[in-house]
Amino acid sequence: MRRVIVRLGCRAVVLLALSFVLLRPLAASPQTDDVVVVANPSVPVNDLSFTELRRIFLGERQFWSSNLRISLLLSAPAARDREVLLKTVYDMSEAQLRQHWIGKVFRAEVASAPQMFYSDEEILQAVAAVPGSIAAVNAARIPRGIKVLRIDGRVPGEPGYRLR
Amino acid sequence: MKFARIVICCSLLSSPALVCAQSAASNDSAEMIRALLARVEQLEKRVAELEGRPLSALAPAAPPEPVAAPVLPPAAPEVATVPVAAEPQLHSGHMGMPLGMPATHLAGFGDFNFAATDQPGTKIGFDEGQFVLHFNSALSSKVSFFGELSLTARRDAGIGSPAPPGFNVEVERSIIRFEQNDYFKVSFGRYHTPINYWNMTFHHGQWLQTTASRPEMVQFGGSFLPIHFVGALVEGAIPAGGLNLNYNFGVGNGRSSVISRSGDWGDVNNNRAWLATVFTRPDHPYGLQVGASVYRDLITPIDALPVREWIQSAHIVWTKENPEIIAEFSNVAHQQVSTGLQSNSQAWYVQTAYRLPWFEKLWKPYYRFEYIHIPGSDQLFRLVPSLAGSTVGVRYDISSFAALKLEYRNLRRPGEPRINGAFAQTSFTF
Repeated sequence: MRRVIVRLGCRAVVLLALSFVLLRPLAASPQTDDVVVVANPSVPVNDLSFTELRRIFLGERQFWSSNLRISLLLSAPAARDREVLLKTVYDMSEAQLRQHWIGKVFRAEVASAPQMFYSDEEILQAVAAVPGSIAAVNAARIPRGIKVLRIDGRVPGEPGYRLR
Repeated sequence: MKFARIVICCSLLSSPALVCAQSAASNDSAEMIRALLARVEQLEKRVAELEGRPLSALAPAAPPEPVAAPVLPPAAPEVATVPVAAEPQLHSGHMGMPLGMPATHLAGFGDFNFAATDQPGTKIGFDEGQFVLHFNSALSSKVSFFGELSLTARRDAGIGSPAPPGFNVEVERSIIRFEQNDYFKVSFGRYHTPINYWNMTFHHGQWLQTTASRPEMVQFGGSFLPIHFVGALVEGAIPAGGLNLNYNFGVGNGRSSVISRSGDWGDVNNNRAWLATVFTRPDHPYGLQVGASVYRDLITPIDALPVREWIQSAHIVWTKENPEIIAEFSNVAHQQVSTGLQSNSQAWYVQTAYRLPWFEKLWKPYYRFEYIHIPGSDQLFRLVPSLAGSTVGVRYDISSFAALKLEYRNLRRPGEPRINGAFAQTSFTF
């Protein structure tokens, strides 16, 4: 019986270690309220500088590469992740953000404003499905098939992470 | 699948409660392991079921993870004339295009005005402003079309034979653009000439601009700068680190024989105009834009000698609203081909605005000073008046997509009495 307990204990330790390693890229940060920047696995970067992120969310950078266009997905107004984006990335009010995108379309700089979604689940589904897509979500856990991007080399929950 | 099994096992077994249970009693542990294995098996079946399905079929089967149903953002009040695609995975990076035909987005701008001035010959009253329609269509992930139509009320409606209609219809912009990447985009069509910030950024979007009126240097139907440009344009970003440099280079027909018009039907003198623009939106300070442009053309006016035109312009803009600052300068050099006589005309303006932090940030007072100097030697601009003027007003955002602007203008032209005017405008986008 003692051997069984020891064996089970060892197995539990190994599985715990394994789960830590395997689950780390899947769960962005269960204990943090930071906004997570997620992308489709086709996106050829793992780390963005904050200024690059801003250019992407402003629609000034529109391509990951010549063969892959950036598809920007946004949450609906009043969602927490949108509030965080407005405060930290855009430095705009909701009205200014609307005017920004209407102006971009008016100047023919983009064909349309970003797609908008009403829940994190919807955004995550779209990010998983659309190559080149990027979004910011408030989800504590990110499902498989979605990439979590570091911002300035930091992941959510780390000191100095700016999307909070 | 194996990976999924490992993940599920790990996630379950990594639970601290489970670890405690395992250390409590071996009998309980064995029983719990059996229960867990059964649970794992159950979950594996569920994972297999989910992974075996296409995403579009996922929503009904998996309520916690509903299908992403892309919808048009109400933030941008565009109307999809074709329903948005429900299968985004079919059109990578190009959502919103149903199979078989492109999705066209329709949007527009409009304004209504009231004017009361002491300028001789003018009447106090309302006018309809412009009714502008935009057509925007992504033809593929790299090709898009943009069209802009304006309808402007005619002063001479119903007068003459045949009687002109009540509105003048104009194709303001018609652009088909191919985008290779951020660094190279080529397009053909009719543009707002990209040598002037105001002309590029606001033009027929009265609601987009803070003020009710435009600077005189880019007035509708004005002659000082070529407002429209028919031709080809190459544009994109220039890798320059945090400077975020962008360029435009264009070749086109230039001005028509009537210099306020572009060469829509062709080049009047078989001499292409060209332009080049460089502007930067640096990472720091965020909100700053600085740019400069040059424009070269040979003009064959209907009522004057041919002249070579050389325009240099520059702008500096602080795009934030606390404060908002726009400053532009243009120098237009004309040289007569036959005599070599040269003249330089200048125009500039500075506009500032500030969104008040009170009253839900709906009020935005503004002020603009503008100046145009046309020397007597500039025969081509002999009908363009010099002026110095101030515009002061306030913008009130009635809603997210409509604004009310109240404005007072004071203009002075050489040899003429000052002109005072009060204006009200409601402008909107839809």
